[in-house]
Order: sequence, then structure tokens, then C-alpha cells
Amino acid sequence: MTAAKGFFTDTSLCIGCKACEVACKQWNQLPADGLHFSGNSYDNTGHLGASTWRHVAFVEQTLPAALGAENDSSVGMRWLMESDVCKHCQRAGCLEACPTGAIIRTEFDSVYVQPDVCNGCGYCVAACPFGVIDRRDDDGRAWKCTLCYDRLSDGMTPACAKSCPTESIQFGDVEELRVRAEGRLAQLEQRGVRGAQLYGQDARSQPGTGGLNAFFLLLDEPEVYNLPPDPVVPTVKGRESWTFAGLAAAGMFLTAVAGAVLARSRSIR
Amino acid sequence: MTTVPVHPVPFLGPRELSRDTDGREVDPSLGLLQGEGAAQRVRTPEPHPGHLAPTRLDAAARTPTYYGLPVLQEPVWIWTVPAYLFVGGLAGAASALGAASLIAGGPALERLEIRCRVLGLVGDVLGSGLLIADLGRPGRFFNMLRVFRPTSPMSVGSWILALSGAANGAGVLLGRRRGVLGAAGRVGTAAGGGLGALLAGYTGVLLANTAVPLWQAARRELPVLFVGSGMASAGAVLELFPDSGASRKLTHWYGSIGKVVALGAMVAMERSAPRAPRVTEPLRSGATGALWRAGLALTAAGLFASGLGNGTRRRERIAAALTLAGALATRLAVVHAGKRSARDPRATFEGQRAGMGAAELSRAPVPKPAAFKLPVVR
Repeated sequence: MTAAKGFFTDTSLCIGCKACEVACKQWNQLPADGLHFSGNSYDNTGHLGASTWRHVAFVEQTLPAALGAENDSSVGMRWLMESDVCKHCQRAGCLEACPTGAIIRTEFDSVYVQPDVCNGCGYCVAACPFGVIDRRDDDGRAWKCTLCYDRLSDGMTPACAKSCPTESIQFGDVEELRVRAEGRLAQLEQRGVRGAQLYGQDARSQPGTGGLNAFFLLLDEPEVYNLPPDPVVPTVKGRESWTFAGLAAAGMFLTAVAGAVLARSRSIR
Repeated sequence: MTTVPVHPVPFLGPRELSRDTDGREVDPSLGLLQGEGAAQRVRTPEPHPGHLAPTRLDAAARTPTYYGLPVLQEPVWIWTVPAYLFVGGLAGAASALGAASLIAGGPALERLEIRCRVLGLVGDVLGSGLLIADLGRPGRFFNMLRVFRPTSPMSVGSWILALSGAANGAGVLLGRRRGVLGAAGRVGTAAGGGLGALLAGYTGVLLANTAVPLWQAARRELPVLFVGSGMASAGAVLELFPDSGASRKLTHWYGSIGKVVALGAMVAMERSAPRAPRVTEPLRSGATGALWRAGLALTAAGLFASGLGNGTRRRERIAAALTLAGALATRLAVVHAGKRSARDPRATFEGQRAGMGAAELSRAPVPKPAAFKLPVVR
């Protein structure tokens, strides 16, 4: 296996041009999502989905004085933009839920859905704590970002990172990206930006997923960008559920046996 | 001098872009369709993303959301999945009762044992059909048995269902034979009973092992609820066609215990998220709340109407019908309430902020699962 590859998406550099969305659609030859007006700022994409593997979120925020409106030329208002993508989790809910083995971990440590194996059971859709993977109704299979597996195999950069004009999307070895992210956060703090935080950069900061191979630098709380504040791979909680299922099943069988014994000896009314 | 043929370029306005093409804008005669998403089938170009209704209602609320849009994908399962939860639980509980009658019941319960065996097998076959109907690619249903993946309740459950069907099938086909074949049939019935108990229980884990806030919060109660409800519905189906004597009493006893267990689990489930009431909100309000209360009321009415036995056949049948309706309503309510909690970003955000995310696990980061080599059928 080569070194783990991933994205560091630095939202403080995002200008909301959506070049990543377009490049992803073009390279992967994904169908369009339609020309629909949402009214939600400049975001007419809405959310990641089966044929949307990059999504740029737009947040128009009224700045509280505490966040230092004086640093901003547009007084009292700021733009938050973030290019969202599959996180390629270390503990991936979709992968652990897949009953067919269609979802695999590749040599780049990314999470990949094999379209020729997927039978469209939809379990990964419910298991992803980020709402990334989705089943396309008319296709019947589950789809998500492949981390441009085809481009990586040829030593190329994923289409979204390649097209990003401001290096908001940085691609590389996860270890190296992590160092770069820590440095960038320190730099922002030094410049007086308050409220900036890294999201999912390692297992310590996000124990529920064991860290994300595609992590983020955010300028506000995760909820603002539609990211869960404390995501967890469902499997680790499933263990407790299995215990209760085992006990309940044993209880059912014992009840039946006890009932049969009692019925035979005519002691049930 | 050769003339270069000129291809007329059609004008693509918004209408043409959204209706007449799949939006890829790749002319197959000029460009290769070989991208990772190129095989994605598009029958109806550009379905309208229904959730994109503009909303500013959340602006003043304490927890921010992203325009109130869902953070999770709503489970894509259709009505066949709650129907399967009902049928599978019923079949599993019937198989367990049949096996118990074979092991401990003696000749007085032989008729009940046969009825349970058949009910178990029919349920296994019908349940498999319902699950296959839900697949996006039903023709690939056999891929379910391509690997065994212990981290996936769907994979474990597929194996339980397949083995349970095989065991019950052997029981039905061979159970009355003599000699070795008959012994194999009886082993099948007994094994089908154990697998049936697991079949009724695993469906709770199947829902709990997801990111859906309501199901995840109810991970302890759901398997117990489905086991109890399965026992109640198996008893009710047997009571619709009443037997007599010992088997009638056993059926009544088994079903009544199931109803009590199911009601207890339902009450516990309503209290499963005391720190974040938003998570269990779909059980209290709206259509899903009404369905949930109907499930509770019908199950309780079934328990009350069947009384302590000694009832007339007519009363027994009414009680059985109430119980079955209650079990079905409960399954529908659980599935649709879960879907609603997945659509509500606040259920996820407030639940996780109240410590229901990774915080309720041990502080240590979750280790990567041990790499296990899986046999892959090609």
C-alpha cells in the first residue's frame, strides 16, 4: 500500500467558484442534477448525493461583534464557503455496513464502491454519519466520491484539487496534509481570526471515525456547514445492540421451551 | 477541395438542458464515456431534489443548521422493508415455537409443531422476496451471500435468513420421514428454531447500526421490541385459526408474553433519549407519532381482549387481529419515524451535542478493525 492519500480542504481560502463541482462532474462524467433555484444563497446544489461528489456550501453570516467585524471590509457580514466531499473515514460506516463487499479500501487508503458488485441494498446510505453516499433511484446502485481512483492510479491529482484556483482543496499524503493544516491554523490564529478549527484531522480530534482522510479547516462550528459535531461509525454502537438481540433471542427460545414443557404437564391455564 | 462537414449545434436552453439530456454533455460519437460515474444509469434525467425548499425559519434558533437541510441521507428503503420486519419477526418466532414443541412438547404438540414449521418456512420465503424487491438491482440479490461480514448486520442477517430458510425447508420436507432423513428433518426444525430467534432479533440491530439518530438511540430497545412483537404476531396468526387443548394454551401464553415484552420495550424506547428530546420527537408528533400510538394501543388492546384465556373463539380471533395490526403499525412507525429523524438536522446536532455521538463511548479513539481475510465467491 502506498501512503494514505486524502484532501485537506481549507475553507478560509474557498472563494465559492464551484470549479471543483464542475471538474468532478466532467471528469467522472456524472449526470446533471437539474437547474433548480433553491434560494439558499448561491447554493443550488444542496447536498452531496449519488451524482454530486463535491458540493460547495455558502453561508451568509451576520457577524457578532465578538468575532471581530472590524477585520472585515464588508462591515458586519461575512461569507463562509466550504467544498464538501466524501471524508474517506478511517472507520467508514458505509464500508463496514456493506453486505456484498462492494465497498472496499483501496491501496490509497480511500473508500471505493465497486459499481459491478453493488446490488443497491441501501444499507450504506443509512450507515454514513455524514450523509455522503446515496443510491440513485433510476440507476439502483450506491455512488460516492472515488477520490478519483482512476486518476490516482495514473499518478495524477484528483480533478477537484487540480481545478481549485486558490488551493483551498489540497491533495496529498494525509500525514503531510495534517502538518500543513496545523501550520495554517496557527497562522490564522496569529492573524487574529477567531473561531477557526480543524475538523476530523486525526483520531484524537474525532474518535468516532478514527480521523478523516479528507479533513477540513472551518471558520465556525461544524453545524454551520451541515457537518455533524461528533460523528460516530455506527458499528461501534451496534455491538451493544447485538448483545441485547442475543439476550432477547435466547429469551424467546427459552420462553418457547418452557411453555412447551408446561403445556405438556398441563400447568398452563 | 474537400468540404468539412458542419455539425449543427443545437441551442441548449434551460428546458433542453433539464429535460432532453442527462446533462453529461458528452456526445458519444466524439467523446469516450469511460469516467468513474459514466456507467451511472439515467432513466429520468434530473429528478427534482425535493428537499431544496428555501427556508429562513432556523435563523433565530439556538443551534445553527444549514438552511434547515438534512445532514444525513434519508434511508432509501421502501414499504417492503417494514413489511419484511413484520414477516421476518413472525416467521422467526413461529420457528422458535415449532422447535420448542418438537424438543419438549411430545405428541400433544405435534400439530402445533407442523403448523409452526410451515409458517416459519413461508415467512422466510416471503421475507426474502420482500427484501429482494427493495434492492436497487434485484438481479444481483445473490451478491448478499458473496461474503460474510461480521460488521454488517445486513450481511449477518442475510446469512441467518438463508440458513433459516434452508433449515425450515428441511424440517417441512423431511420432518415426517422415518430413519436418517427424518432425523435430518428434525435437526433442521431444531436449528430453524435457533436461527428463527436470531432472525427476529437481528432486525433490531439492522436498524440500530445506522447513523439515523432515533434508531441509534434505541439500539438497546429495538431488538427486544422486535423479538416481543414477533412472538405476539406468531401467536396471533396461530390463534386466527385456533387449535385446541395444550397447543391452544401454549400459543396464548407465548403470544401474551410477547405482547408484554413489546409494550415494555416501546415505553422504554420513548425514554431512550432523555437528554435530547428532539431525537425521539417523531414518536410523539405528526403522522409517525399517530402510527406509533396506534401500535401501542392496538397491541395493548390485543393483550386485553385475549384476556387470560378461556375466551370464546370469536374473542380470540378479534384479539389476534388487533395484535397483528398493532405489530404492523409498530414496524411502520419505527421505520418512518427513523426516516423523519434522519431528515431533521437538529436530531443529529442536538443529540451529538448532548453527548449521544462518540462521546458516550470510551474516551480512547476507536481502533481500526482487525483486518480479516474474507472468502470471496467469484
